[in-house]
Amino acid sequence: MKDILWLIKKTLRTTFRKKGNILLYLVAPIGAILIALLAYGGQTTDMKFGVINHDAGNMAEETIAFLGSIDHFKTVEISDNDVSKAVTSREMDGVITFQEGYTEGLLKGEPDAVHLTSIKGDQVTAFVKSYLYQYIDHLATLGMAADGNADLFNKMYEDYQQSEFQLTTTTLTDASTNKNLTISAIGFLIMIMMMSAATLSEIILAEKENRTYFRLLSTPITARKYIISNIIVNMIVMFIQVTITLMLLTYVFHIDLNIPFGKAFIVMAIFSVISVGVSLVLVAFSNSRGAFSALMNLVIMPTVMLSGCFWPVEVMPEVVQKISKFLPQRWTLDTLEALQAGSTFSSLYLNLCILFAFAIAFFLIAIYKFSRNNDTKSFI
Amino acid sequence: MNILEIKHLTKKFGDFIAVDDMSLTVGEGEIFGFLGSNGAGKSTTINMISGLLRKNNGSIKMLGKETNKHPIFIKKHIGLVPQELAIYEDLTAYENVSFFAGLYGLRGEKLRSRTIEALEFVGLAEKHKSYPKSFSGGMKRRLNIACAIAHQPKLIIMDEPTVGIDPQSRKYILQSVQKLNEMGCTIIYTSHYMEEVEEICTKIAIIDHGKIIADGTKEQLKSLITDSKLIYIDVKDTDHVDIDAIKAIPGVANVTLAENTIQIHTELGANNLNQIISYFIENKIEIRTLDEKEPNLETVFLTLTGRTLRDA
Ligand SMILES: Nc1ncnc2c1ncn2[C@@H]1O[C@H](COP(=O)(O)OP(=O)(O)O)[C@@H](O)[C@H]1O
Ligand SMILES: [Mg+2]
Repeated sequence: MKDILWLIKKTLRTTFRKKGNILLYLVAPIGAILIALLAYGGQTTDMKFGVINHDAGNMAEETIAFLGSIDHFKTVEISDNDVSKAVTSREMDGVITFQEGYTEGLLKGEPDAVHLTSIKGDQVTAFVKSYLYQYIDHLATLGMAADGNADLFNKMYEDYQQSEFQLTTTTLTDASTNKNLTISAIGFLIMIMMMSAATLSEIILAEKENRTYFRLLSTPITARKYIISNIIVNMIVMFIQVTITLMLLTYVFHIDLNIPFGKAFIVMAIFSVISVGVSLVLVAFSNSRGAFSALMNLVIMPTVMLSGCFWPVEVMPEVVQKISKFLPQRWTLDTLEALQAGSTFSSLYLNLCILFAFAIAFFLIAIYKFSRNNDTKSFI
Repeated sequence: MNILEIKHLTKKFGDFIAVDDMSLTVGEGEIFGFLGSNGAGKSTTINMISGLLRKNNGSIKMLGKETNKHPIFIKKHIGLVPQELAIYEDLTAYENVSFFAGLYGLRGEKLRSRTIEALEFVGLAEKHKSYPKSFSGGMKRRLNIACAIAHQPKLIIMDEPTVGIDPQSRKYILQSVQKLNEMGCTIIYTSHYMEEVEEICTKIAIIDHGKIIADGTKEQLKSLITDSKLIYIDVKDTDHVDIDAIKAIPGVANVTLAENTIQIHTELGANNLNQIISYFIENKIEIRTLDEKEPNLETVFLTLTGRTLRDA
């Protein structure tokens, strides 16, 4: 154990002696928060939805007017053609489509001709959805009572409008924005963690290339102890990054994570293990640093993007969403989102099991490959 | 007492046999030289002794213990100076030595004093705060050595420590080896420089194609070839020298060409000097000087392998 500590001390010393490393390992997490703030911080006041109206009757316009009355909420009429532009430019938070027969449906008490798509994630639009559907439900109840009689329905609707229907949405908006900001910051953090872990594991390959690795093996240090020391250094850096990010979010930027700090830390700690496991697998399958960086570029960035670390998975095609189910980054974000929505650890035990399974799988693959490498090269 | 006993050691890389049924013993207090050309199998042997490479066959015993059964014990008593530099560019000279010594369990004041001693020993004490990138090739080689001696091992193994360095550093290193030996260390020294091995080693094993073709003291090795000698003939122009024609002269065992010098390796009692000289006269090749040499390790190597160390 003493010798492992000796190795750890040396690796930490040489690692943090380089300014570039300090930048990557300690400053980048702050960058992650700043980027997330840029993406979501400005939205506390205004939320913009595109509205597509195909309804022949008058109720769609009434509904739009109702939505417009909500604080910090704006609607813009758009056409079908504008939808893809709205999604890609991320100018809007979502799109609400009223299909033909919306009014008729309400009159019959069967409101199914309305559709809400969120662009910036369910967290942002959840409260809009809840208000919209609540409102539509009321109308549908009126429609049911009027039993398809349009005049009666209109009369009842006027009465309904007279009644008090005050909305205070500010607090709700804040919560959803904070939730989003947290997830977004952690999405970037995930990328930074994976990059950092890979760079730290690369030290193993660097030491093989400059032959100090073999010199180490001529001392009482075993290959296993050496790898363990590298893993511990890596875990230390991962934990520092997670702590920096969560602490800054909570105590400096005063953003409510909507998850207890400890729980968020535990989930990210499990992801730390996964991310170290991934980099060990990459190292095990590379026979040079060149091969390693190629492999790293091939694996890390694409999976980070596919799993929705930079934007909500919902905006990606179905197929990609299905692929993301095989990625640990997705499951990590998923677990955090579920915790934000109020789930408990015990109800998320499947999620946690899957995350652990990822971690174990990566470590087993790395260990298997390392031992095979040693056999073929005949190095002990 | 024998510090190292190797019996029937064999190493294969695929079908290629790099070390072939090698047996040797190194006694305590010796400077044991492994002499052999590039690719002879010196590093492979050393890597097996220091536990870096698995052997296919045979046994290696150090201090009476089987190396693969007690790897940690063995490694504690060895200081390996690898053939290629293995030092950290991002640690200072002091930190490099101190880091490696620490791996052998040294801490605190003892670690500090041993580190400084090792740096003084290789003449780098004044540069202890510098990073190796500011070092010359010879200084890096010396640091490479310092990293292997601070823990005061019983056996120091040096794998071609003088390759590619200036004559001054080379001299310094050779003197250090002798000094370490006087201080009680046993040393295995590998080289393909015959002069170095001849100068410092108390015992020598000549290795070729993974086999020990001769071993013993310098005198023992030379006595192997009391029946032959070397004739050096310096000529103006070697263009018209026909090596095969000289080889055809009775008693001539081998002929090699190096620049303007022809080395003729011949039996001692052959009395063929006249014939050799007349070859040159008949072919109108001007002889500038003619020299006869006492047998040395070069002659021994040549006799045993039919090649010189350099062209092997
Ligand atoms: N890992 C390896 N795989 C295959 N062949 C090797 C390996 N290491 C050494 N060899 C071969 O074994 C022979 C002996 O090499 P080496 O021990 O390095 O020679 P020396 O140190 O005497 O110059 C060489 O022909 C070399 O090419
Ligand atoms: Mg060698």
